[in-house]
Amino acid sequence: MENNPIIRRLRPADFETLTGRSSAPALVRPSRSYWQDAWGRLKANKRAIVSLFIIIGLLVFTFIGPLVWRVNPSLQDIDQISIAPGADRRAVIVEPFVAWDGISGITSSEDADLWLAEAPTTQSVRLKWRTVPGAEGYRIYRNIYEPQDEFSLGLPLITINNANLNYYEDRLDLSPQTYYYSVAEINDLGQLTGDYETVSADVQRVITVHEASQRNLVDDPSTLRPGDDVLLSWHPLGTDYLGRDMLARLMAGARVSLFIGLLAPLFFVAFGVLYGATSGFVGGRVDAMMMRFADFVVALPFLLFMILFQVVFGIGPGESGILPMLVALIILSWPATARLVRGQILQIREEAYVSAARLLGASSQYLILRHMIPNTLGVILVTLTFAVPAAIFTEAFLSFIGMGVAPPTASWGSMCNEGLKTMLTHPHELIFPAVMISITVLAFNLLGDGLRDALDAKMRSTE
Amino acid sequence: MKQEDPTAYTKAPGDRLTHAAGKQLAIYALAAVALLVAVMFVLNALAGLTSSAAGMSSMAVDVENNTITSYLREEPPQMDSMRASDAVSAIVMYHVMEGLLRFDADGELVGGVAERWEQDGTNVTFWLRDNARWSNGEPVTAHDFEFAWKHLLSPSVGSQYAFILYPILNAEKANNGEVSTDEVGVEAIDDFTLQVTLETPIAYFDQMVGYVTYLPVNEEFYHQTAGRYGADADQMIYNGPFMMTSWVHGASMQLVKNPYYWDADRIKLDGINFAHMTSDSNTLLNLFKDGQIAIADLTAEMLDEAMLRNWSLNQFMEGTVFYTEFNHRPERLTSNYNLRKALSLVHDSSELVNRVIKLPGYLPGESLFPNWIQGVEGPFREEYPVPNSPPDVELAREHLALALEELGLEELPPLVFLSSETPVARIQAEYYQEVFRRDLGIELLIDAQIFRQRLQKMTDGEFDLVGAGWGPDYNDPLTFADLFASWNLNNRGRYSNPALDAQVRIAQTSLDRKERLDAFGEIQRILLEDVVIMPDYERGYVYVTDPQVRGIVRHVFGSETDFTHAWIEPGE
Repeated sequence: MENNPIIRRLRPADFETLTGRSSAPALVRPSRSYWQDAWGRLKANKRAIVSLFIIIGLLVFTFIGPLVWRVNPSLQDIDQISIAPGADRRAVIVEPFVAWDGISGITSSEDADLWLAEAPTTQSVRLKWRTVPGAEGYRIYRNIYEPQDEFSLGLPLITINNANLNYYEDRLDLSPQTYYYSVAEINDLGQLTGDYETVSADVQRVITVHEASQRNLVDDPSTLRPGDDVLLSWHPLGTDYLGRDMLARLMAGARVSLFIGLLAPLFFVAFGVLYGATSGFVGGRVDAMMMRFADFVVALPFLLFMILFQVVFGIGPGESGILPMLVALIILSWPATARLVRGQILQIREEAYVSAARLLGASSQYLILRHMIPNTLGVILVTLTFAVPAAIFTEAFLSFIGMGVAPPTASWGSMCNEGLKTMLTHPHELIFPAVMISITVLAFNLLGDGLRDALDAKMRSTE
Repeated sequence: MKQEDPTAYTKAPGDRLTHAAGKQLAIYALAAVALLVAVMFVLNALAGLTSSAAGMSSMAVDVENNTITSYLREEPPQMDSMRASDAVSAIVMYHVMEGLLRFDADGELVGGVAERWEQDGTNVTFWLRDNARWSNGEPVTAHDFEFAWKHLLSPSVGSQYAFILYPILNAEKANNGEVSTDEVGVEAIDDFTLQVTLETPIAYFDQMVGYVTYLPVNEEFYHQTAGRYGADADQMIYNGPFMMTSWVHGASMQLVKNPYYWDADRIKLDGINFAHMTSDSNTLLNLFKDGQIAIADLTAEMLDEAMLRNWSLNQFMEGTVFYTEFNHRPERLTSNYNLRKALSLVHDSSELVNRVIKLPGYLPGESLFPNWIQGVEGPFREEYPVPNSPPDVELAREHLALALEELGLEELPPLVFLSSETPVARIQAEYYQEVFRRDLGIELLIDAQIFRQRLQKMTDGEFDLVGAGWGPDYNDPLTFADLFASWNLNNRGRYSNPALDAQVRIAQTSLDRKERLDAFGEIQRILLEDVVIMPDYERGYVYVTDPQVRGIVRHVFGSETDFTHAWIEPGE
């Protein structure tokens, strides 16, 4: 009991008035505005910050990128169709192509039954063979693997129904790799007799001086001589099915995607806010009618309207469908925002501080500007960030099904559609635009999530 | 000493609760999965009961029942030979019906229902065999042909291919409603003799008789169906090697060997199951890999895999020629010769085929007349070669400058390129867009339309250039040669040139082979010199067949894919 610190001997000093000062540190922090607070919270959210940087990077990619990477996205590099990133791009200069008569320029020995008349190049592979007595004709095959038997000779290139013809020139889609050419004998019914000869050809990539100058590969084409090495144009991300640069197309596509993705939400959120705020603030019969109209708009099918708008806008052949897409998005997407804002306004209208302000004689304008808008701004911003990825995705989807941009303009969605056809052989044509769509949509969504956490205390996710 | 961890105390009931809830949830989840699996099995079983495959194996090759499974590219609109106009209908029709003449395994015309035939000027006589039977046992008579031909010519039937009968006396007039169909020059002299009178003596009438439109129809049966002839498997009777036992619209079609067919010994298969109706090449490749169809066409992307798998590949020139047609209507810019010449000078069909389309089997187009057309002795294209004209950008720009001067324009407005929606057509269109822009600074607007819509726009003349194609109807160069005659409705660009018309007339009426081929050579020259069209390519296919099925033949004429000569050779 003696040790109890409270009950101890009282002294006179205990009965003196306090000086009004506490020695304990004050539990206050510097006053921070709503926005400062939100920014602080956002900064603490790593995912949101990473997303923010990705989005900034995307904007740089879209708007600064084309200034750095000055390649025309619709320029076709016929020499490098569907090449993967990092492919070898050396080529040798050769004379312009002249169709072969089957006689000239035979370099190989004639000991074999089937031989290459000239060094095989991507321009042409020239085959010559010894005619077989008794054969009614020949069928030429090409394989990228060594043939095992007469049934696996590979791709039939042509059937020659002339026993005396003994040469063939292949020009079909030659790439710098090894081919196995087979010449098989056929009988008078056009069936294989089982006799065939195979020769392998290591094809070398070549280009003519004219082509080199046309594609601006060298500064002075007149100095080029056959046999010189040149480097074909560089495509860091490869090319598509028409030899167009993927990087340039991704940049051009980003512009379309972001145009729709940013503009459409701005417009329809703005309209939704106006509509919802009016409805919520006025209330009563007007509110009911306006909200029923919003319900009606929600029920309209988007795709059908998209098609109707294309017709109404008179989008003719070969014209871009981006404008009707924008209009359709704006006209049909606002009700969600309107409902959200109306709910907020209805709630705030009944708050005590609003009633107090009203009692003190505040005008409607003051109420809206001072209380309503600042208190709904967080919700609006969150809606906006979530609307952006949705719009980007819609654009990609519509372009994918062919209702968006017109060729040769690129958009990520149309690039995906084109890449789908060559998915198995040239996957990069599908992967790059698909990854761009995914990253963009994910980044905007995560940023939206972070913004919601930061701006709207009530909806904060608990983690 | 009862010291308890207070936190443990408070946590315990919640833990137990979550455990219980978790268990419950897991049980529900398991039950849901089990139910789903059960439903899937039941539905699958039900689908199997109702599906087309019921009753016939869906394996690519069924050695036991001697049947094979294949596919159709699309659902045939109907099986009425008098109204059929598409290739898929024709494939089925050539399997279930037989005309006066048929195509053998080499693609040569041989006697079908007709035992022999004879042409004497404008008179053609067919002697029918007396053992040809309909699938209801009745004999196939000359009256069945007379009925079918006269009936399809009546304007009320509206047959799109009626024109193929126009060589017959009064056929065109009857089709236009000017004379009665009774006056058409077809007459069954008796049950087994058919007498045909032609408008003018032509050299290629027998080739036309091989076409679907010339197939017979049993009049009595036709009237029994009350207008539904050819709409279903039981709304037809058959006189061909096979008969249709089931037709599930949009899904499948089954053919079995026709016991009444006069030459049934020739047919080695007991049945063909067209179990799929799709043209999606990836689906077909997967079906083939799974052993569900015996034949599949391959696209360029699939070739590497096909070679890796050691598949035996075949190639087939389908006969169709594709070309870019100009709009020659005077109000269009493309009616200007120099503009067309400029475009054609930068147009390189060899680059298009070898480096852009890259599909094996395709040949660069050089002329309206494809490579397979026969001339007097050898191939037509060897006897009447096309002059070699490599692309020349400089010359093209000169022609363009001339064109602008003639048209009184500073700059050329964008041209509209009407194209179909297929992947190849789109690649081609985008390639041209770039070539014309790069070499001539001409902008091209691509108007990609589905087939029907494109045909409508072609007819209405809403294009400057159009990617068009033409498949031969009968084995004579005339099927191509009269395309740009001023009176031909398929001349969508409305090209009109009296010199060309005169040559077409010669080719139509002459009986001398040399004179006719000279006319075709002249037509080829005019078409190229006046740049009426720019030939793009001749289409071919690379396809793979099941190694156990032999003797599948593919022809330009007759059935595109013909199983009537096929047999199964069981592998080990």
